[in-house]
Amino acid sequence: MWLGIDVGGTFTDAVLVEDGKVISQSKAPTTHDDLLIGILAAIDLAVPSGSPLVIERVALSTTVVTNAIIQGAISEVKIVLMPGPGLNTEGLFPVKPALVSGYIDHRGRVVKRPNEQEVLAQATLPGKIFAVAGKFAVRNPVNEQQVSEWLGKCKPRLVIAASKVSGSLNFIRRTNSAYYNAACYFVFEKFAQAMEEALAKRAITAPVHILKADGGTLPLALAKDYPIESFFTGPAASVLGVMALQPSMADTISLDIGGTTTDIALWRKGKPLFAERGATIAGYNTAVRAFRLHSVGIGGDSYVRRESDKIVVGPMRLGPAMAVGGKEPTLSDAMIARGDRVFGNKEAAIAAMASLALPGQSVQDVANQVIAEAAYIVRQAIEDTITEEIAQPVYTVNDMIHPDPFMPHELIGVGGAAAGFVPVIAKQLGVSYIVPPRAEIANAIGAAVARPTMSLTMRADTAEGFYSIPELLLKQPIHSPQFTLDDARKILADHLLERAREAGIRSTDLEEVYTEEFNMIRGFSTIGKMISCSLQIKPGVLMYFNEGQGGVRHE
Amino acid sequence: MNKLGLVFFPAFDWAITPTHPEREERLLYTRDQIVEEGLLDLPQIHEYKPQLATLRDLERVHIGVPNLRSHIKDAHFVSAGGAITAARAVKNGEVKRAFALVRPPGHHAMRMVHGTRGFCTVNIEAIMIAHMRKHFGIKKVAIVDTDVHHGDGTQDIFYHDPDTLFISFHQDGRTLYPGTGFTNELGGPKAFGTTLNLPLPPGTDDEGLHYMLDHFVLPILEDFQPDMIINSAGQDNHYSDPLANMAITAQGYARLADKLKADVAVLEGGYSIEAALPYVNVGIILAMAGLDYSQVIEPDILSKQGKSNLGYMEKLVQQQWTVWKNREQLAKEQIAKWGDYFVRQKNIYYDDSGIQEKQTEKVRLCPQCRGFMTIATQAETAYYDSQSAFAAIIEQDACPACRCAAKDAVSKEIKLGRYDHYFIQDKEQDTLETIK
Repeated sequence: MWLGIDVGGTFTDAVLVEDGKVISQSKAPTTHDDLLIGILAAIDLAVPSGSPLVIERVALSTTVVTNAIIQGAISEVKIVLMPGPGLNTEGLFPVKPALVSGYIDHRGRVVKRPNEQEVLAQATLPGKIFAVAGKFAVRNPVNEQQVSEWLGKCKPRLVIAASKVSGSLNFIRRTNSAYYNAACYFVFEKFAQAMEEALAKRAITAPVHILKADGGTLPLALAKDYPIESFFTGPAASVLGVMALQPSMADTISLDIGGTTTDIALWRKGKPLFAERGATIAGYNTAVRAFRLHSVGIGGDSYVRRESDKIVVGPMRLGPAMAVGGKEPTLSDAMIARGDRVFGNKEAAIAAMASLALPGQSVQDVANQVIAEAAYIVRQAIEDTITEEIAQPVYTVNDMIHPDPFMPHELIGVGGAAAGFVPVIAKQLGVSYIVPPRAEIANAIGAAVARPTMSLTMRADTAEGFYSIPELLLKQPIHSPQFTLDDARKILADHLLERAREAGIRSTDLEEVYTEEFNMIRGFSTIGKMISCSLQIKPGVLMYFNEGQGGVRHE
Repeated sequence: MNKLGLVFFPAFDWAITPTHPEREERLLYTRDQIVEEGLLDLPQIHEYKPQLATLRDLERVHIGVPNLRSHIKDAHFVSAGGAITAARAVKNGEVKRAFALVRPPGHHAMRMVHGTRGFCTVNIEAIMIAHMRKHFGIKKVAIVDTDVHHGDGTQDIFYHDPDTLFISFHQDGRTLYPGTGFTNELGGPKAFGTTLNLPLPPGTDDEGLHYMLDHFVLPILEDFQPDMIINSAGQDNHYSDPLANMAITAQGYARLADKLKADVAVLEGGYSIEAALPYVNVGIILAMAGLDYSQVIEPDILSKQGKSNLGYMEKLVQQQWTVWKNREQLAKEQIAKWGDYFVRQKNIYYDDSGIQEKQTEKVRLCPQCRGFMTIATQAETAYYDSQSAFAAIIEQDACPACRCAAKDAVSKEIKLGRYDHYFIQDKEQDTLETIK
């Protein structure tokens, strides 16, 4: 039996699942000052003490890192940067970095070694936290490794090398990832420790997994080293929830309609799309792999009013629905007044709508207008995301001439406010829709059943005669001039499986994220190959839910 | 707003042949550098997906023998479309400038196309300009060709167009392909002085390039007041280029982009794919986006050896400046000298396919309108039969008499039956007619 927990903005949800069924579910207020209180309250409701239920796995989608960053409750980190020549990086990092020499070129050749005196000048006091980053370090980690070693001699509290956090190109993003990873390290560590202790007290000894922004989970022990991966996991949990509740092989749009926002995700042939280069954290670009989600300021609690005779919905939230004691009309009041949703005091919701009515206008009519107005805003956002998807650049003639157009024909809605609202949006878009059962706890379900994932990247340059796996800070010679993409794949797969095994991940199901192979020609003859390869333990869900017949499709 | 639109299309699956300089790998290291520097994330830069140019876009400029489709690959629709996308983004006001960092290139492709020459099959800048004139009402255009090779295709296409100023600086044609681009190539009689060539001695470095720019190119652009400035941004003047012998650095290129302030830059040549292109392109992108490029420096910059002959530059500038200043008078003299028709013979070599083309170009110098021209062409190879064609090109504002005369010229040739193929390219009707 698996326990899934989702820490949301308002509520913390917990579900207990087994064999595609929800055994129990619970809800407790999120306690932002100490998330653990809310988490434990939800667990205690879902798994009463003395319960004979045996928990085999706990998976958690938490906002601990997100909150720490938003509240500025993160550690002070010094960025030690080897930018080499190129872009002026001023203003591109959250803190002003210390610039030191050291430069690797695009082939992974060391153009300049770092200087020990320069580096040590940055580490005069013990107990500091460092993020070390160098341009093209993912092609050759030697400089980052050297600088980390020198810093390590000065009794730092923590040193994080950027290419260990991300193996992809984009030095600015890697640096920011490393910075935030270092800055959140101790906040997360403290949380993880408290979580383990609290679970132990409840005699839950199952392995604990933390959900990542890319929808995979990491065992808690490993997650401690990569806390930044758990940034912004609520929406990721919801995407996983959709996958578990309503698997589809088609081009789809899913909506998670919450209290204040609606998160839009695009799915191609059943797979959710990823943010092209990584997530943006507190306005800074990072390499954190995350789903490509668009958030629009419409949710159940969106404030509804008239502005010069026109009904206006959101984007702000002034409080809960009047049906549950709020002071101002909300989108939820419109749904409750129409009878789409049943909660709180329906009379209060009707009064909320009546307060917006023009002379002679019926409550039903106002409620319809409110929902149509809110749906219009979401519909526009959906259309923008589709336009953006179609405009994604491609880099081969084949992809230009034989495009694979994104043509969604269905809308899947989850989240508290999905019922009653999604049908209106679907109608406006002219597509069919499904609101699967359990849509309101999709996030917790998503967290409960997310697969553990892990990825590694390799770059092999057979002309230079070496390959590197940056996440392992590994650089190895290539002995055979006949080294191919297949060889690269095999070596990388071995490393990945070994690393997964060490972390307690049992899955051996690998998936190719990216491959690239170029012949290198110099003076009209082939001198080698340039190979890039990225593999991951296959993400997705471990369990599908088919209570009843799944969702009913409405055309 | 100082935003740059970037159309990046490295055509990672296209090569002329597997080991040709124009191969899949060409923009690989440039891509790596751009991505690693994080340029595509900068708010000052917006990346665009290229659109596909249509055959109509291509045939607004070119006449292929026996037809254009048989010479072009899908890749050409993308790179020409990429240039169009860049220009449209600027003229739609979405971005201040745009850079079409695309391949395959195009500046050696002339109006008549029998094959590929100088790695080029269709002229992507000319196609872009024709598209913009058709759809955006652009009139005056200046093209500054900064590729190391003379932009002979672009020169050919706009030779008789007084609304297109073509300035090319390049390594002296006596020392480099295609062997043209001398100071006496100045445009047809009615467009005299709107083609200006600046052949530079091998070894010219940043100092010499910027001398030409400051003392010639920029003042002339100021004088011409174009609606649009296009930079044919070849990068083979770089000191490390394997196919040429100049000594320009990434800084030299970036400062050029900064000063030129082209509305649209289009990549042309540049085959130092590792040592030059990554740095030159980053420099151009930053400069065009109004960002600090001062730290874009090649790792091997110390190996640079160059020297500019400023005495020569000064004379060259003086000579060409005199032409520019007196161009209206000189044009009158040219028209008087030629009378009703301007005629020239051209020998054109297609290095990629070994075709030798002989062309007779005859331009009607009509006092009422832009007139028309006829081109009689014959292309021979060692292996195949010759392909010959006769074409009439009717200009945009051609008067009824010229329209008639152009069609008559083709009819007459059809009766004589001396050619394999006959064409009428009508710029007014925006058509290319193949006459059987």
